[in-house]
Amino acid sequence: MPDLSITIAGIEMKNPLTVGSGTYGHHGRFSQFFPVETMGALVPKTIRPHQWPGNPPQRVLEVPAGLHSSVGIPSIPWEQFETEDAPRLKALNLPVIQSVIGRTEDEYAEVVRRCTELDAFAGLELNLSCPNLKQGGLDFGYDPEAAFRLVSRARQQTDLPLIAKLAPDYSSLVPVAQAIEAAGADAVALVNAPRAMCIDADTLKPMIGNGVGALSGPAIKPMAVYMVWTLYRAISLPIFGMGGVATYRDVIEFMAAGAAAVAFGTVSYVDPMALPRALRELEAWMVQNGIDDVTQLVGAAHDADFERPQSRRVA
Amino acid sequence: MEQIDAPVVSNVHLTGEYWLLEVEAPSVAAALEPGQFVNIRIRDSLAPFLRRPFSVYRVNPEKTRLQVAYKILGNGTRLMKETLQPGTACDLIGPLGKGFELPEDAKTIALVGRGIGIAALPMLADLAAARGVTSHAFLSARSRDNLVGAEIFASHGGQVFTHADDTPDDVALVTDHLLRMAESTAFDALYVCGSNRLIRQVDQLARARGIPAQSAMEQHMACGFGDCHGCIIEVNLDRDGDTRGYREVCHHGPVFDTWEVANA
Repeated sequence: MPDLSITIAGIEMKNPLTVGSGTYGHHGRFSQFFPVETMGALVPKTIRPHQWPGNPPQRVLEVPAGLHSSVGIPSIPWEQFETEDAPRLKALNLPVIQSVIGRTEDEYAEVVRRCTELDAFAGLELNLSCPNLKQGGLDFGYDPEAAFRLVSRARQQTDLPLIAKLAPDYSSLVPVAQAIEAAGADAVALVNAPRAMCIDADTLKPMIGNGVGALSGPAIKPMAVYMVWTLYRAISLPIFGMGGVATYRDVIEFMAAGAAAVAFGTVSYVDPMALPRALRELEAWMVQNGIDDVTQLVGAAHDADFERPQSRRVA
Repeated sequence: MEQIDAPVVSNVHLTGEYWLLEVEAPSVAAALEPGQFVNIRIRDSLAPFLRRPFSVYRVNPEKTRLQVAYKILGNGTRLMKETLQPGTACDLIGPLGKGFELPEDAKTIALVGRGIGIAALPMLADLAAARGVTSHAFLSARSRDNLVGAEIFASHGGQVFTHADDTPDDVALVTDHLLRMAESTAFDALYVCGSNRLIRQVDQLARARGIPAQSAMEQHMACGFGDCHGCIIEVNLDRDGDTRGYREVCHHGPVFDTWEVANA
């Protein structure tokens, strides 16, 4: 039996598969299709420190090989998260990495502090890249200085592993990743869904309620693989890779590009058994190819003599 | 709720612009309530990428098969028609959502539908008949041959009123028929699907009579089982519509009380 386990930012995963925040389960209720413990770590939907109804309808629209959406992270009141969701998450027999977001530096620091106090999580994912919010998320994710300040503030609030989720922005990707590495983040997750728009050729108006939305699904996979490959060469931090993952071959592709863990996202809406099937097939593929340790795949697409950069951490 | 490979029994033209898919799905069919839906995937396809949600048209008496009536609207439904043939199996998730509530003591109900919205109602007519409840149907469509399932409603013995936009003789609208019949008939509950105008009028009648009324709603969906938070509609949180909120059609609905439906 090949060894599928991997430790990333101190988080011990029994296999490298996880889920993109907001694509699996809701409010601490999980898996109508397979046991949540099948995956190596769980990333629940982003929580914020205040209640929010989310964006107006229409929120989702099918596009070729993907999904155009603007859900806007609807959030239950913090008190409900604390009393209902957190105990359910804590009771799970796998590492839970809670995704968090705020509208300001203060709100990010606040939600990181509160989540740490819940003593329920193996790590925290800072969502620096939600494409569908008027405030927060991307405001920080595009700007290296703002990202540095924000991660530094979060770092002061917690000893939990901090994973920064990054936007797929070609020009800011490397400087932002280097800034959050310097500020003391333990890992990066990428890509979040890029911003996108569809316009109705009859009405000449945007087709979803928020006007601007995200693009996700297999349509974005080659872009995401490229960005994982790029950051593997630019920073020292381990990488959670994602963006259009649908099969075990996609998992191999992201790991070869440099991801230590790989998240299934939009595909689960269509094919809810995609993750457990990929896990089975990945294991079979490893047996077939004589690979006894899944960590051998990480960065395998890079030249054998390539060495990752030294840590830039200053904090 | 479960995901199954349902063998296709038949996939044939129904009437007008509508087709009828029938699949073998004992576990899903046995659990299905009127108004619930199933979510069908076009196998191994990236375009269309998403599943297609359909209300269930009918379940056979043995509860081993279910039928879905659909209209060819785009690539997904065109592929459904072409690829889901006997000998193949259909990747289906169901039953999904919350169905219609038929009050225990109901004796007479009205079913009001327009276009493909009618397809959400035959299963409720079947249930009503099985429980000895009389159902009268009020059906409208753009053309006469698109009055889906009129014969099903008639087979249960209730009255069936129709209106086709393309038929000049159809002066009265279905809501005219409904209001006229309501003058002499004590409906215990009203059910509607397929048009905001119909929902509005059914809701007014229900409020005036103090009886329940429900509507099956549609919205673009990504998953259909509560994970994507995509399929919201705006709802009234109180009967006066003073406060509003969002509800997800796939699991809070698709059936809502008509007073809940905002902007109808």
